[in-house]
This record gives sequence, structure tokens and C-alpha cells, in this order.
Amino acid sequence: MASTQPLRRTTTEGEVDVKDAVETQKPWSVVVWDDPVTPMAVVVVIFRKIFGYSNNKCTQLMLAVHHEGRALVWSGHRERAESYCVKLQVAGLQCTIEQDN
Amino acid sequence: MAGAKLFVRRRDGRVEVRMNEFGRSVVKSAFENVLAAERDPAHEWHIALSGPIDPSLDHDNPVSMLARQNELSTNAELAGLTISEEFLNDGEAWAWLTTLQVALRSTAQSNGLLSDEQLAASTDEILTYVRTLQQFLFDLAACF
Repeated sequence: MASTQPLRRTTTEGEVDVKDAVETQKPWSVVVWDDPVTPMAVVVVIFRKIFGYSNNKCTQLMLAVHHEGRALVWSGHRERAESYCVKLQVAGLQCTIEQDN
Repeated sequence: MAGAKLFVRRRDGRVEVRMNEFGRSVVKSAFENVLAAERDPAHEWHIALSGPIDPSLDHDNPVSMLARQNELSTNAELAGLTISEEFLNDGEAWAWLTTLQVALRSTAQSNGLLSDEQLAASTDEILTYVRTLQQFLFDLAACF
């Protein structure tokens, strides 16, 4: 009995699972916490020295720490976040890392 | 201590230390305490120096902890070795700044000074020490 099915498939539709969304790793943030004793000028100097940010950006970040109790000062790969966190802790700032939600 | 600046950046790039013997003795004591606290887990400042990098983990990253320990000790040692110097180069001035800042925050943490109210309610002795370190840091930060 002759087959009625085509010898060659004309489409691959339904056989290939296409994934529309690419899941990337969530970035890690470096968080600096406020404390009642560190002079503001010292925080600005430490940010400028460690991150190389402009004076303006360092001042904005310092004010965010002061007014909000904490501020995200850098975001990216975990290893670099840890490295920055170590440098900030060595410089005497209270600092942690956390993964973005 | 108010008035004249304690640290001045000179034209040749060096930082001049204009501190009397009493000031240097306070700074020296702070440097020695940071170094001792880093090496002695029983030191009252030790806990302030060993906060977790990632609080969500039970155990901190040992590589990061080691890096922090090495850098802290190196800065405190360099600061201690240059305590009698009249002029500091950039690296030495940075070691002074970071070690003084570590000493300041460790003092606050070990005395439970975690808010402005707690700081205001602390004893005169602690408050004077905190204000002295803050003045040193303020003048030194102006050199960077």
C-alpha cells in the first residue's frame, strides 16, 4: 500500500523549541551603609579613589548613604563586587554585597 | 586643635604632617590598635574589622576575607612605620587615612555608637576621642 505521507518534511514547525527569553545572571550590587561617625568628606574621597567616579557623583552617592541609610554604589559581576566591597571595608566603610531582585 | 591644618598637600605632591607629639601619640595608638585587632580575635575592635561581605551566606568568601585581612594589615603596618615622618607620599597618606577611618568606625562600633542619638549620649572621653579622629580625617581627606 502506498504511503500518503511526503517523503521529505516541508516544515520543522513544532519540532524545534524556540526559547524567546534569554535568562541572564542577575547583577550584584555593592551597598554602603551609613554610620554616625564617618566624616562626609572622607566618604567622598574613598569613593573617588576606589571607583574613579567624578567628585559630583561621589558627593551624590555620599548624600544618598547619609539620607537613606544605604546606597548602591556599584553593580555588576559578583567577583568585582566582592573586590570593591573588600576595598571599601579596608578603607573603613561599612559595606556589603547583595544580588539584585 | 582647631585652626591650623594638621595635614597639608605640598606642591611637590607630598603631604606634610603638622602634628605635635600628643597628636602623633593619639594616631600611633590608633594604628597599633587596628593592627592588634586584625591579629587578635579577642580584641574589642576585631568584630568591627571582620563584618561579612555577603550577609546572606553563613560563611563568608575566604578569598575575600584573606584579601581584606592582608590589605588592612598592610595599611596599618605602613601607617605605623611612618608615624614619625614629617612628609608622607601618596600611598603613605592613603594608609594613614584608611587606618584612621578603620580606627574611628571600630571605636564607634565597639562602643555601640550606631546612631546620632547614641553618639550624643556617649561619655565625654569617647566623644572627645571620636571628635579628635574626625578632625584628623577631615584635614587629611582635604589633601586628596
